Amino acid sequence: MKGRGLLWLGLVALGPAIWAAAFTLVYALHGAGCAAGWAGIDAGPVSLHRLLMLLGWLAGITAGGWLLLRLPAGKDRETWLPRAGALIGLFATLFTLVPVLFASSC
Amino acid sequence: MTENSMPPADHLANPPQPALRLHRELTRVWSNAPGIRGVFTAVNHSTIGLRFMCTALIFFGIGGLLAMLIRTQLATRKGAFLDTEIYNQIFTMHGSIMMFLFAIPMLEGLAMYLLPKMLGTRDMAFPRLSAFGYWCYLFGGLILIGALLMGVAPRDGWFMYTPLSGSTYSPGINADVWLLGVTFVEISALAAAVEITVTILRMRAPGMKLTQMPLFAWYILGAAVMMLAGFPPLILGSVLLEIERAFGWPFFDPERGGDPLLWQHLFWLFGHPEVYIIFLPAAGILSTVIPVLSRTRILGYGAIVASILGLVFLSFGLWVHHMFAVGIPHMALAFFSAASLLVAVPTAVQVFAWIGTMWKGRPQLKLPMLYILGFFFTFVMGGLTGVMLAIVPFNWQAHDTAFVTAHLHYVLIGGFVFPMMAGLAYWLPMISGRRRIKGLGELAFWTILVGFHGTFFIMHLTGLVGMPRRIDVYPDHPEWEMLNLVSSVFSFVMTFGFALFALDCILQAWLGKHARRDPWKAPTLDWAMALPPPAYNFASLPRPDMTGSEYAGGAEVALTLARGEGVLPGAPRGHREVLVTGIGHASPQHVAILPANTALPIQFAASIGVFVLMMLFGLYYVALAALLPVLWFAWRWARALVPAGSVPPVEIAPGLQLPTHYDSAATLTGSGLACFLFANGTFFASLIFGLAFITLVSPGPAPPPLEGQAAVSAMLIAGGLLAAALASLVPGRALKEVSEAGSPLRLIAFGLAANLAALAALAGLAIWQLGDPRVHAQTAVRAALLGYVALQLFITAIFAAFALDQARRGELAAGHLGALRHWNLWQGYTLAIGAISAAVIWAQVLSQ
Repeated sequence: MKGRGLLWLGLVALGPAIWAAAFTLVYALHGAGCAAGWAGIDAGPVSLHRLLMLLGWLAGITAGGWLLLRLPAGKDRETWLPRAGALIGLFATLFTLVPVLFASSC
Repeated sequence: MTENSMPPADHLANPPQPALRLHRELTRVWSNAPGIRGVFTAVNHSTIGLRFMCTALIFFGIGGLLAMLIRTQLATRKGAFLDTEIYNQIFTMHGSIMMFLFAIPMLEGLAMYLLPKMLGTRDMAFPRLSAFGYWCYLFGGLILIGALLMGVAPRDGWFMYTPLSGSTYSPGINADVWLLGVTFVEISALAAAVEITVTILRMRAPGMKLTQMPLFAWYILGAAVMMLAGFPPLILGSVLLEIERAFGWPFFDPERGGDPLLWQHLFWLFGHPEVYIIFLPAAGILSTVIPVLSRTRILGYGAIVASILGLVFLSFGLWVHHMFAVGIPHMALAFFSAASLLVAVPTAVQVFAWIGTMWKGRPQLKLPMLYILGFFFTFVMGGLTGVMLAIVPFNWQAHDTAFVTAHLHYVLIGGFVFPMMAGLAYWLPMISGRRRIKGLGELAFWTILVGFHGTFFIMHLTGLVGMPRRIDVYPDHPEWEMLNLVSSVFSFVMTFGFALFALDCILQAWLGKHARRDPWKAPTLDWAMALPPPAYNFASLPRPDMTGSEYAGGAEVALTLARGEGVLPGAPRGHREVLVTGIGHASPQHVAILPANTALPIQFAASIGVFVLMMLFGLYYVALAALLPVLWFAWRWARALVPAGSVPPVEIAPGLQLPTHYDSAATLTGSGLACFLFANGTFFASLIFGLAFITLVSPGPAPPPLEGQAAVSAMLIAGGLLAAALASLVPGRALKEVSEAGSPLRLIAFGLAANLAALAALAGLAIWQLGDPRVHAQTAVRAALLGYVALQLFITAIFAAFALDQARRGELAAGHLGALRHWNLWQGYTLAIGAISAAVIWAQVLSQ
């Protein structure tokens, strides 16, 4: 936090913010895809709709994982809280968007 | 002084002074005006916080009385106590009052009252804004209660679903009362959110790091940020529905391309986070009171902060679980079902932390602890039925039944009312300065607990056997009658308990013996003062050696501060001075001189009230004229902040001088404006969501072809953007000009003209190119977007005009940058949303 309180707060919130961005992106792709009929377009083994949502999900996981790896480990609160935020974000991204793997899309 | 340059504690110590002299000096400066004048001009945080809480409790009483009428009606299956029309108004008002006039204002009041005391400062960041918020709340609440007394209260349920709340099915002003009244009240919520955020981030005592501040502040910070993000969608929905009802723009009318589901999305985008906005401060009370009454420290400070963080974000990913039965595709259901399950984790972490704290300490079964145990018993059950409702198949079965009513009362009374009563029992000796009368509080607690569970546990069963919510009679279902009768009887027991609680509080304040200082032996700063607290809280502000952990305070600290041995002692200059500190380490940055008592807040709120009433009565042209006084008071509000002359630096400790906020860059006002722009941005994002939803998802007829010529539209959009872009260059250049002792008058005039030109281009676009917004929802939402951009441009022009006036008066000089910096911020925002809006409208047109 040294000298950069707002930056530190931003870092704490960054992990969940990545989840929020990924969740919004995938939900928006879901709505747009259903409206535009992407579910009926094949893209290899899955539909274009599912592929795009999968890519959105993977982008969220990658960003969350990258953040977690970049943040230093430590037990003091100033170091620990940003990592806790990153963990929350990563786990939330994994768990809340896992339905892109199996649920019917539209 | 930079954020990280914290002077050593002994450098911030002042020599001791006679405590009584300091007290008199500070009381003269910080007290409210005497008599009736004080009622209308008070801005002090303790006064305003208490007013919020007392008014909220009165509204709680009114809402409770309405609940009794509902239970009386439902006690028998052919109840003839109320007719359907009045019953509908009563259950709608019960929910609306409890949500908007009790729960949120209560938490705002508690936060306003406590935060400065806990953080070691003398007031909130924007005292006039606190008072303004209170008057908006009171006037808005009176509009709603007045409508109830006149029989024209809203009757469409507290979430006002369309099309029921549209003009076809709800003619008359009933629905308008809700839309305008609640929006008026929500001004106070946004005002409170801005100042709570800024107070916590910028006004903590020197050395009180974010990671060491009391957990209560973390909870309130989380709730305030959620309010900034959560209320704008509701305000947007209310504005759109009011426009539809008043002017026929069909945002929610499926026959003209609109969609009632858009209302549900906007409402629940607010409505679900709202549950956590209410829960977080209540949890803050628990995290404060449990360790004190367990004679130990909180277990898992870091884990609790992480849980708050998780709740703040995750609670915005759950709103669709209120819409599981509307026909949403499986995948979307699954996303929101998963998020609804996940949010139980951070809540559980806190519950385990509280249990662990009690486990490792020595809990004392005093009255606040009884309410805490009541919370555990009730809230955990409410949480578990919440997990049941997060499962889609169960949700479909229980949807719109009394089971949901029971669940929400378990969560809200368990998760908010019980902790709030624990908090009142804990802080009432501080507020009243008196001890409570033993026995009555315990009797009230047990009566409430038994009455509550007797009412609402049974209601789960009523719902599971199929009784829908919000019906007034059930003549064909004798099997529901006994369950309802039992609920009704116990509801009267609960009401009797609440009456006892109120009596206990009144008797304590009236007849109780004087309380001794720090009766709970609490190690926090809020108790490090006389009881009841003086208007200024601290004669001198805590030093870093007193705030080095979340357990600051104690009797020693109280005496040291009262003798002026802390920072910024007394009020020798006759101003309401507070210390502004850095966000992270709370190192001293400058001294802010807060405004004194003034009638501006009530005048400003009253002018908005006149506008709201004119809208309510359908006098739209008069309402437009009523905006002129609003603008006048807004101008006066800002003018009152301009100093009459130069203000010298302030010595906060021997040899340590700090500039006042007039000569500082990172002011509280700047931080507040950034918070407000965050809320404004959420409003804009919600509007873009609405446009995308209506364009992509809404069924119904295709939009009519565009009326204007594409080339002319493109020219007007490009012209408007160019003018806004040119205007956005001005504040920065004017700042530079002023810093170099030049005259920025002509430059600012150019900026004002450029903004007006952009506004003219938008007007041209609306008049000649847009088409009739009443014809189709897509046209309507496009017009709403243009209207939003126009409003931002208009506000930018006001900023420019204010800066021009300051330049004309010679008030701008190096170090005195007046409105230029804030204009710069707003101008940048306006340019950004203008560009995004242009792109979005273009994409919408192309998609046609």
